[in-house]
Amino acid sequence: MNRRIAIRNMALILGSAAVLPSCFNDKKGKPVVELKHLEIDADQENLVTNLAETILPRTSTPGAKELGINLFILKMIDDCTGKEQQDAFKAGLKEFDEAAEKKYGKSFNQLTQQERTAFVVDLEKQAKERGAKEEAAVKADKNHKPEEPAKLDTFYGMVKGYTVFGYTTSQYFMTKQVVYELVPGRYNAMFPVKKKATA
Amino acid sequence: MAFLNIDSVKERTFDAIVIGSGMSGSWAAKELGEKGLKTLVLERGRDVKHIKDYPTTNLYPWEFPHHGVIPEDVQKANPIVNRCYAFGEDAAHFFVKDAEHPYVQEKPFDWIRGYQVGGKSLLWARQTQRWSDFDFEGPARDGFAVDWPIRYKDIAPWYSHVEKFAGISGNRDGLPHLPDGEFLPAFPLNAVESYFSKHVKTKYSRDVISARCAHLSKPNPIHLQQGRAQCQERTLCQRGCPFGGYFSANSSTMPWALKTGNVTLRPFSVVESIIYNEKLGKATGVRVIDTNTKEAIDYHADVIFLNAAALNSNLVLLNSTSNRFPNGLGNDSGTLGKYVAFHNYSAHISAEVEGFEEWATDGRNPAGGGYIPRFRNLHKQETNFLRGYGAGLSAYRGRTSSGEGIGDELKQNLAKKDLGPWRVGSHMMGETIPKESNYVALDKSKKDPWGIPQLKISVDYDDNDAKMKADYLAQLTEMFTSAGFKNIKGESDHRAPGLDIHEMGGVRMGNDPKTSMLDKWHRLHACQNVYVTDGASMTSTSYQNPSLTYMAFAARAVDHYVGEKKKLNS
Ligand SMILES: Cc1cc2nc3c(=O)[nH]c(=O)nc-3n(C[C@H](O)[C@H](O)[C@H](O)COP(=O)(O)OP(=O)(O)OC[C@H]3O[C@@H](n4cnc5c(N)ncnc54)[C@H](O)[C@@H]3O)c2cc1C
Repeated sequence: MNRRIAIRNMALILGSAAVLPSCFNDKKGKPVVELKHLEIDADQENLVTNLAETILPRTSTPGAKELGINLFILKMIDDCTGKEQQDAFKAGLKEFDEAAEKKYGKSFNQLTQQERTAFVVDLEKQAKERGAKEEAAVKADKNHKPEEPAKLDTFYGMVKGYTVFGYTTSQYFMTKQVVYELVPGRYNAMFPVKKKATA
Repeated sequence: MAFLNIDSVKERTFDAIVIGSGMSGSWAAKELGEKGLKTLVLERGRDVKHIKDYPTTNLYPWEFPHHGVIPEDVQKANPIVNRCYAFGEDAAHFFVKDAEHPYVQEKPFDWIRGYQVGGKSLLWARQTQRWSDFDFEGPARDGFAVDWPIRYKDIAPWYSHVEKFAGISGNRDGLPHLPDGEFLPAFPLNAVESYFSKHVKTKYSRDVISARCAHLSKPNPIHLQQGRAQCQERTLCQRGCPFGGYFSANSSTMPWALKTGNVTLRPFSVVESIIYNEKLGKATGVRVIDTNTKEAIDYHADVIFLNAAALNSNLVLLNSTSNRFPNGLGNDSGTLGKYVAFHNYSAHISAEVEGFEEWATDGRNPAGGGYIPRFRNLHKQETNFLRGYGAGLSAYRGRTSSGEGIGDELKQNLAKKDLGPWRVGSHMMGETIPKESNYVALDKSKKDPWGIPQLKISVDYDDNDAKMKADYLAQLTEMFTSAGFKNIKGESDHRAPGLDIHEMGGVRMGNDPKTSMLDKWHRLHACQNVYVTDGASMTSTSYQNPSLTYMAFAARAVDHYVGEKKKLNS
């Protein structure tokens, strides 16, 4: 495949929290990230990037794009999931974009940041409601067969899951937010902490 | 074989040969080298030098391409080893890949292996308990398997010998069924673990102790002399420890053996068979296939220590045939390859704990938590199953972080540092009964890439295992309930035998050559210059982690051999 090899070592990107140069965006419809199994075009790659950045935006601290998590997501789905999940991912991506189109009359990539956020918040809310309903149905009837999750939800779940995983295992997070110790050099089995004040 | 000139035969002749450089073989090599015997250690895998060959040891999670996750194609290509909990992106290079070393599963058996200098000693969870007479007398008590030819008093001094050098941390708990050793300070129980310990002691007269483990909690001079340092509580042990904080052949016994100047290590050398000389009535050497050149080479020695790990030691003996031993070396009894047994780890339980909010832990516990020694059928048979089980126990408390929401809310949720509630969990460690029907044999039609017959494994659970498992779940549920734990979930998984990685037997010890392979010194009854001191020699399995016992066996057997040799020479 003559896909442009932009990212050889995801670890490097995540490790150095590098900002991707904008010239990486190939205008010919090919994605920038080299994938072995998952076939997606540049538009779809952008959608994943925009979605990851919506889930984990740049605020006073770095967001998904700046940390390279958008590309990490695709690498993980490409390398660490099976064909079935990859197919579900692709189908869900399509459904996701169609849902945006239906609601706003334009594709997710064309939405403003506010619209994207509103769309995703609503999506999570609906998924939660469906989850609660299912739970209630199982409670009422043990034999209740849960509905197949919509492809859209599967897709969103994968993107969010890998966004969270990539973020919480990124160098930025593990050095600046929650400090990971490679060499603790101690085990204190009885470490006193303040009891949380209960109001 | 090609014509061999005298010189090269001389070059290939040693006082002793050790087959395998892992947990037990490295002990044999160290003891032989220290006693001045010119020793050749043959290892089928590549060399792994301490620190230098631990490529992932200092990597941060984000430095792994998949942040620790094994890619799907690797998982698919390795369905067996992929089931092992320690097979992650950081340690995969120390495990045997399924396709490279085929074997035949007559019944499902997950054979987890590490073929390299150091064997599985690089990968183990480092739990170390002495066995007691409750374990060595098990078969004599209920008549399953044959009586062990040794008792605790025979091995106790060798436990001490091994513990002092390897470095074992633990408390002196004073339990008759779990003898104390030469301990470095234990890693203490945390708030919930010690609460539970006190509770079950008062209520049930049962014990929960600090897990005993092969970590240098506080090194002694002998450990520093090995070039090892205090355990730094990294709990990244399966990558190889740059501090030598835990015992591995690579950090401890192998370099020590090599430093004596008497030991030669030959990696890439898979032992095909042991050569038996009918005129002399003893073994005279081994035949090796060089795994790079596929060339067959013979090495010669007065004595052979077989330490290829339980099932591989079976394979080597089964494949060592002669007119005298058509069914495998030393196999007059017909028991070779039979009475294979294992441990049953297929049940676990978890629960939530209320309270103890004023306590947390800081750092990481390399011992993993607590250990529940056997409390069933100990002094008398009191259940409908034979023997017993122990269990791991650990309590832990994590941050209250969550993946809820998006945007700033999500970032805040993920970074939350407040501590959540305690949780507690346990897993079962059950003894299985050695039976003739659980066996390994050679598959006559299938060969491995070096032309050696593949091992066929036919091992299964039985009714005793099912009953024991049910009892573990019932007892732990009761103990958890009585301790006030909430939302208790006992679970049984359907793993195949083998995944506990404590396969044993096939070349069992016994007093009677008609029903066993090895005498009380670990020598083949029928070929006394071959010693087997790994898991193959185990007459029964106990429920306790076995490796410390293999190490003690190896040291004791070498001492016996050298003593006999001296007697002959004087
Ligand atoms: C993840 C994991 C966790 C474990 N946890 C524990 C624990 O907590 N406590 C415990 O006691 N045990 C534990 N074990 C088991 C422990 O590792 C083994 O019991 C121990 O390593 C066995 O020692 P050994 O010398 O018999 O075999 P190994 O250490 O496996 O060494 C055998 C060596 O022989 C070599 N070899 C094999 N065949 C041949 C041949 N034909 N020719 C030449 N060389 C050969 C192999 O390559 C290997 O290097 C664990 C194992 C694993 C993998």
